[in-house]
Amino acid sequence: MLLPFFEWCDGLAMSQAYRDSTYLFPVTQALHILAVTVFIGAIVIGDLRLLGWGPIGQSRASIARSAQWVLLWAGLAVLATGVPQFTTNALTYHRSWLFVIKMWLLAAALLYTATVRQRVAVADEGSLRSWVPRVVGAVSLALWMSVTISGRLITYYG
Amino acid sequence: MPSLVPTFEWLEGLAWTTALRESPYGYPLIETSHVACIVVFAGLVIMMDLRLVGLAFTNAPLAPIQRRLFPWQMATFIPSMATGILLFCVDPLRYYENVFFLAKLVFLALAGLNALAFHLKTYQKAEEWDDDPQFIATARLAGGASLLLWSLLIVSSRLIPNNWFK
Repeated sequence: MLLPFFEWCDGLAMSQAYRDSTYLFPVTQALHILAVTVFIGAIVIGDLRLLGWGPIGQSRASIARSAQWVLLWAGLAVLATGVPQFTTNALTYHRSWLFVIKMWLLAAALLYTATVRQRVAVADEGSLRSWVPRVVGAVSLALWMSVTISGRLITYYG
Repeated sequence: MPSLVPTFEWLEGLAWTTALRESPYGYPLIETSHVACIVVFAGLVIMMDLRLVGLAFTNAPLAPIQRRLFPWQMATFIPSMATGILLFCVDPLRYYENVFFLAKLVFLALAGLNALAFHLKTYQKAEEWDDDPQFIATARLAGGASLLLWSLLIVSSRLIPNNWFK
Protein backbone atom coordinates (compact mmCIF):
# COMPACT_ATOMS: atom_id res chain seq x y z
CA MET A 1 0.00 0.00 0.00
CA LEU A 2 2.79 2.43 0.95
CA LEU A 3 5.13 1.19 -1.77
CA PRO A 4 4.83 4.35 -3.98
CA PHE A 5 5.87 6.47 -0.98
CA PHE A 6 8.89 4.21 -0.30
CA GLU A 7 9.85 4.40 -3.98
CA TRP A 8 9.55 8.18 -3.91
CA CYS A 9 11.88 8.30 -0.84
CA ASP A 10 14.34 6.02 -2.59
CA GLY A 11 14.41 8.32 -5.63
CA LEU A 12 15.13 11.54 -3.74
CA ALA A 13 18.33 13.43 -4.61
CA MET A 14 19.33 13.21 -0.94
CA SER A 15 19.05 9.42 -1.02
CA GLN A 16 21.26 9.30 -4.12
CA ALA A 17 23.82 11.61 -2.47
CA TYR A 18 23.91 9.27 0.55
CA ARG A 19 24.41 6.23 -1.69
CA ASP A 20 27.22 7.98 -3.60
CA SER A 21 29.16 8.96 -0.47
CA THR A 22 31.42 6.64 1.55
CA TYR A 23 31.23 8.75 4.70
CA LEU A 24 27.79 10.36 4.82
CA PHE A 25 25.78 7.28 5.82
CA PRO A 26 28.10 5.94 8.58
CA VAL A 27 28.54 9.44 10.07
CA THR A 28 24.76 9.91 10.08
CA GLN A 29 24.37 6.51 11.80
CA ALA A 30 26.90 7.56 14.45
CA LEU A 31 25.17 10.90 15.10
CA HIS A 32 21.79 9.09 15.22
CA ILE A 33 22.85 6.81 18.09
CA LEU A 34 24.40 9.80 19.89
CA ALA A 35 21.12 11.72 19.62
CA VAL A 36 19.24 8.57 20.71
CA THR A 37 21.48 8.34 23.80
CA VAL A 38 20.70 11.92 24.84
CA PHE A 39 16.99 11.39 24.18
CA ILE A 40 16.89 8.13 26.17
CA GLY A 41 18.84 9.80 29.00
CA ALA A 42 16.12 12.45 29.27
CA ILE A 43 13.41 9.77 29.15
CA VAL A 44 15.08 7.50 31.74
CA ILE A 45 15.71 10.28 34.27
CA GLY A 46 11.98 11.08 34.15
CA ASP A 47 10.94 7.41 34.23
CA LEU A 48 13.18 6.69 37.24
CA ARG A 49 11.60 9.66 39.00
CA LEU A 50 8.11 8.35 38.15
CA LEU A 51 9.12 4.91 39.44
CA GLY A 52 10.24 6.53 42.69
CA TRP A 53 13.80 5.30 42.19
CA GLY A 54 15.37 8.40 40.71
CA PRO A 55 15.90 11.93 42.04
CA ILE A 56 13.01 11.94 44.53
CA GLY A 57 14.24 15.21 46.08
CA GLN A 58 12.80 16.96 43.00
CA SER A 59 9.12 16.93 42.17
CA ARG A 60 8.02 14.79 39.21
CA ALA A 61 6.85 17.95 37.46
CA SER A 62 10.18 19.73 37.94
CA ILE A 63 12.17 16.84 36.45
CA ALA A 64 9.69 16.51 33.59
CA ARG A 65 9.84 20.21 32.75
CA SER A 66 13.65 20.25 32.75
CA ALA A 67 13.81 17.11 30.63
CA GLN A 68 11.32 18.51 28.12
CA TRP A 69 13.84 20.76 26.35
CA VAL A 70 16.38 17.98 26.12
CA LEU A 71 13.70 15.66 24.72
CA LEU A 72 12.68 18.23 22.14
CA TRP A 73 16.18 19.03 20.84
CA ALA A 74 17.49 15.48 21.01
CA GLY A 75 14.26 14.25 19.40
CA LEU A 76 14.73 16.65 16.49
CA ALA A 77 18.32 15.43 16.10
CA VAL A 78 17.15 11.80 16.14
CA LEU A 79 14.63 12.62 13.41
CA ALA A 80 17.09 14.64 11.30
CA THR A 81 19.61 11.76 11.36
CA GLY A 82 16.98 9.02 11.07
CA VAL A 83 15.08 10.29 8.03
CA PRO A 84 18.00 10.22 5.54
CA GLN A 85 18.89 6.68 6.71
CA PHE A 86 15.33 5.67 5.97
CA THR A 87 15.03 7.33 2.55
CA THR A 88 18.41 6.01 1.40
CA ASN A 89 17.38 2.40 2.09
CA ALA A 90 13.61 2.84 1.79
CA LEU A 91 13.18 -0.19 -0.45
CA THR A 92 15.09 -2.42 1.99
CA TYR A 93 13.07 -1.11 4.94
CA HIS A 94 9.87 -1.76 3.02
CA ARG A 95 10.60 -5.48 3.39
CA SER A 96 11.94 -5.26 6.96
CA TRP A 97 9.50 -6.57 9.59
CA LEU A 98 11.72 -5.17 12.37
CA PHE A 99 11.59 -1.69 10.84
CA VAL A 100 7.78 -1.88 10.75
CA ILE A 101 7.75 -2.99 14.40
CA LYS A 102 10.12 -0.16 15.34
CA MET A 103 7.87 2.43 13.66
CA TRP A 104 4.74 1.13 15.41
CA LEU A 105 6.55 1.08 18.75
CA LEU A 106 7.86 4.59 18.08
CA ALA A 107 4.35 5.86 17.28
CA ALA A 108 3.01 4.24 20.46
CA ALA A 109 5.87 5.62 22.59
CA LEU A 110 5.48 9.16 21.22
CA LEU A 111 1.73 9.17 21.71
CA TYR A 112 2.01 7.72 25.21
CA THR A 113 4.74 10.18 26.23
CA ALA A 114 2.83 13.21 24.96
CA THR A 115 -0.42 12.17 26.63
CA VAL A 116 -0.47 9.75 29.59
CA ARG A 117 3.11 10.20 30.76
CA GLN A 118 3.01 13.98 30.43
CA ARG A 119 -0.26 14.25 32.37
CA VAL A 120 0.94 12.05 35.20
CA ALA A 121 4.33 13.79 35.39
CA VAL A 122 2.85 17.24 35.88
CA ALA A 123 -0.13 16.16 38.04
CA ASP A 124 -0.24 17.31 41.68
CA GLU A 125 1.85 14.91 43.74
CA GLY A 126 -1.00 14.15 46.14
CA SER A 127 -3.70 13.69 43.52
CA LEU A 128 -2.63 10.25 42.28
CA ARG A 129 -2.60 6.83 43.89
CA SER A 130 1.00 5.86 44.53
CA TRP A 131 1.04 3.01 42.00
CA VAL A 132 -0.07 5.24 39.10
CA PRO A 133 3.21 7.09 38.40
CA ARG A 134 5.13 3.84 38.95
CA VAL A 135 3.18 1.96 36.32
CA VAL A 136 3.32 4.94 33.92
CA GLY A 137 7.12 5.15 34.33
CA ALA A 138 7.58 1.40 33.85
CA VAL A 139 5.49 1.39 30.66
CA SER A 140 7.39 4.39 29.27
CA LEU A 141 10.74 2.75 29.98
CA ALA A 142 9.59 -0.51 28.36
CA LEU A 143 8.25 1.29 25.25
CA TRP A 144 11.33 3.45 24.66
CA MET A 145 13.80 0.62 25.29
CA SER A 146 11.83 -1.53 22.84
CA VAL A 147 12.14 1.19 20.20
CA THR A 148 15.91 1.38 20.80
CA ILE A 149 16.42 -2.39 20.83
CA SER A 150 14.31 -3.06 17.74
CA GLY A 151 16.27 -0.34 15.93
CA ARG A 152 19.55 -2.03 16.77
CA LEU A 153 18.27 -5.47 15.72
CA ILE A 154 17.35 -4.24 12.21
CA THR A 155 21.07 -4.49 11.38
CA TYR A 156 21.06 -8.22 12.13
CA TYR A 157 17.64 -9.61 11.33
CA GLY A 158 16.31 -7.08 8.79
CA MET B 1 56.82 -5.23 22.54
CA PRO B 2 55.65 -8.76 21.72
CA SER B 3 52.76 -8.90 19.28
CA LEU B 4 49.28 -9.40 20.69
CA VAL B 5 48.20 -11.33 17.61
CA PRO B 6 49.05 -14.84 18.92
CA THR B 7 47.05 -14.14 22.11
CA PHE B 8 44.09 -12.89 20.06
CA GLU B 9 44.32 -15.91 17.75
CA TRP B 10 44.26 -18.20 20.79
CA LEU B 11 41.24 -16.30 22.16
CA GLU B 12 39.48 -16.52 18.81
CA GLY B 13 40.10 -20.25 18.62
CA LEU B 14 38.53 -21.17 21.97
CA ALA B 15 35.44 -23.36 21.83
CA TRP B 16 33.09 -20.87 23.50
CA THR B 17 34.21 -17.83 21.45
CA THR B 18 33.87 -19.89 18.28
CA ALA B 19 30.40 -21.07 19.31
CA LEU B 20 29.23 -17.50 20.02
CA ARG B 21 30.76 -16.20 16.78
CA GLU B 22 29.08 -18.85 14.67
CA SER B 23 25.69 -18.69 16.41
CA PRO B 24 23.10 -16.56 14.58
CA TYR B 25 21.97 -15.14 17.95
CA GLY B 26 25.12 -15.00 20.11
CA TYR B 27 26.85 -11.93 18.77
CA PRO B 28 23.73 -9.89 17.84
CA LEU B 29 22.11 -10.38 21.25
CA ILE B 30 25.26 -9.54 23.23
CA GLU B 31 25.84 -6.51 21.01
CA THR B 32 22.25 -5.31 21.39
CA SER B 33 22.48 -5.67 25.19
CA HIS B 34 25.76 -3.73 25.04
CA VAL B 35 24.11 -0.88 23.13
CA ALA B 36 20.98 -0.84 25.33
CA CYS B 37 23.10 -0.61 28.50
CA ILE B 38 25.42 2.08 27.14
CA VAL B 39 22.53 4.20 25.88
CA VAL B 40 21.01 4.29 29.39
CA PHE B 41 24.36 4.69 31.16
CA ALA B 42 25.73 7.44 28.89
CA GLY B 43 22.28 9.03 28.67
CA LEU B 44 22.14 9.46 32.45
CA VAL B 45 25.75 10.68 32.58
CA ILE B 46 25.01 13.20 29.81
CA MET B 47 21.96 14.49 31.74
CA MET B 48 24.26 15.28 34.67
CA ASP B 49 26.81 16.82 32.27
CA LEU B 50 24.10 19.09 30.86
CA ARG B 51 23.33 20.10 34.46
CA LEU B 52 27.03 20.79 35.13
CA VAL B 53 27.49 23.00 32.09
CA GLY B 54 24.21 24.74 32.88
CA LEU B 55 22.19 23.68 29.82
CA ALA B 56 19.43 21.64 31.50
CA PHE B 57 17.99 20.78 34.95
CA THR B 58 19.36 24.15 36.11
CA ASN B 59 16.58 24.64 38.68
CA ALA B 60 17.65 21.48 40.54
CA PRO B 61 20.67 20.94 42.80
CA LEU B 62 23.20 18.57 41.23
CA ALA B 63 24.56 16.56 44.16
CA PRO B 64 21.29 14.99 45.41
CA ILE B 65 20.20 14.07 41.88
CA GLN B 66 23.55 12.55 40.98
CA ARG B 67 23.54 10.56 44.24
CA ARG B 68 20.16 9.04 43.33
CA LEU B 69 21.22 8.32 39.75
CA PHE B 70 24.56 6.75 40.64
CA PRO B 71 23.21 3.21 41.34
CA TRP B 72 21.49 3.23 37.92
CA GLN B 73 24.61 4.47 36.19
CA MET B 74 26.56 1.61 37.80
CA ALA B 75 23.80 -0.92 37.10
CA THR B 76 24.16 -0.13 33.39
CA PHE B 77 27.91 0.57 33.26
CA ILE B 78 28.93 -2.83 34.67
CA PRO B 79 26.91 -4.86 32.12
CA SER B 80 28.15 -2.48 29.39
CA MET B 81 31.71 -3.37 30.29
CA ALA B 82 30.96 -7.09 30.68
CA THR B 83 29.20 -7.33 27.31
CA GLY B 84 31.91 -5.17 25.71
CA ILE B 85 34.68 -7.47 26.91
CA LEU B 86 32.67 -10.46 25.72
CA LEU B 87 32.19 -8.92 22.26
CA PHE B 88 35.92 -8.35 22.03
CA CYS B 89 36.70 -11.95 23.02
CA VAL B 90 34.30 -13.34 20.41
CA ASP B 91 36.06 -11.59 17.53
CA PRO B 92 39.37 -10.10 18.77
CA LEU B 93 41.11 -9.86 15.41
CA ARG B 94 38.23 -7.77 14.06
CA TYR B 95 39.03 -5.05 16.61
CA TYR B 96 42.78 -5.36 16.49
CA GLU B 97 44.14 -2.40 14.52
CA ASN B 98 40.67 -0.92 14.07
CA VAL B 99 41.22 2.81 14.57
CA PHE B 100 37.69 3.47 15.86
CA PHE B 101 37.95 0.67 18.41
CA LEU B 102 41.29 2.04 19.65
CA ALA B 103 39.78 5.56 19.76
CA LYS B 104 36.88 4.17 21.79
CA LEU B 105 39.29 2.72 24.36
CA VAL B 106 41.17 6.04 24.59
CA PHE B 107 37.92 8.01 25.08
CA LEU B 108 36.81 5.47 27.72
CA ALA B 109 40.08 5.91 29.63
CA LEU B 110 39.94 9.72 29.41
CA ALA B 111 36.26 9.83 30.42
CA GLY B 112 37.09 7.56 33.37
CA LEU B 113 39.98 9.77 34.49
CA ASN B 114 37.84 12.89 34.13
CA ALA B 115 35.06 11.32 36.21
CA LEU B 116 37.55 10.16 38.85
CA ALA B 117 39.25 13.56 39.11
CA PHE B 118 35.89 15.30 39.30
CA HIS B 119 34.62 12.89 41.92
CA LEU B 120 37.71 13.14 44.12
CA LYS B 121 38.29 16.89 43.88
CA THR B 122 35.25 18.93 42.91
CA TYR B 123 32.27 16.74 43.68
CA GLN B 124 33.11 16.45 47.38
CA LYS B 125 32.28 20.14 47.70
CA ALA B 126 29.22 19.96 45.49
CA GLU B 127 26.95 21.20 48.26
CA GLU B 128 28.76 24.55 48.27
CA TRP B 129 28.41 25.20 44.56
CA ASP B 130 25.40 27.38 44.53
CA ASP B 131 27.34 30.46 45.64
CA ASP B 132 30.93 29.83 44.63
CA PRO B 133 31.87 30.91 41.09
CA GLN B 134 35.18 29.03 41.34
CA PHE B 135 33.46 25.68 41.80
CA ILE B 136 30.93 26.50 39.12
CA ALA B 137 33.74 27.13 36.62
CA THR B 138 35.46 23.82 37.49
CA ALA B 139 32.17 21.96 37.34
CA ARG B 140 31.41 23.42 33.92
CA LEU B 141 34.80 22.36 32.64
CA ALA B 142 34.41 18.80 34.00
CA GLY B 143 30.86 18.57 32.62
CA GLY B 144 31.94 19.85 29.20
CA ALA B 145 34.85 17.40 29.06
CA SER B 146 32.59 14.51 30.05
CA LEU B 147 29.96 15.51 27.48
CA LEU B 148 32.59 15.66 24.73
CA LEU B 149 34.33 12.39 25.71
CA TRP B 150 31.18 10.25 26.02
CA SER B 151 29.85 11.70 22.76
CA LEU B 152 33.09 10.85 20.99
CA LEU B 153 33.03 7.36 22.52
CA ILE B 154 29.54 6.70 21.17
CA VAL B 155 30.34 8.10 17.72
CA SER B 156 33.57 6.10 17.43
CA SER B 157 31.76 2.93 18.63
CA ARG B 158 29.18 3.22 15.88
CA LEU B 159 31.95 3.74 13.31
CA ILE B 160 33.83 0.51 14.25
CA PRO B 161 32.25 -1.48 11.34
CA ASN B 162 33.78 1.07 8.91
CA ASN B 163 37.52 0.52 9.14
CA TRP B 164 38.41 3.50 6.95
CA PHE B 165 42.06 3.80 8.01
CA LYS B 166 43.52 0.35 7.55
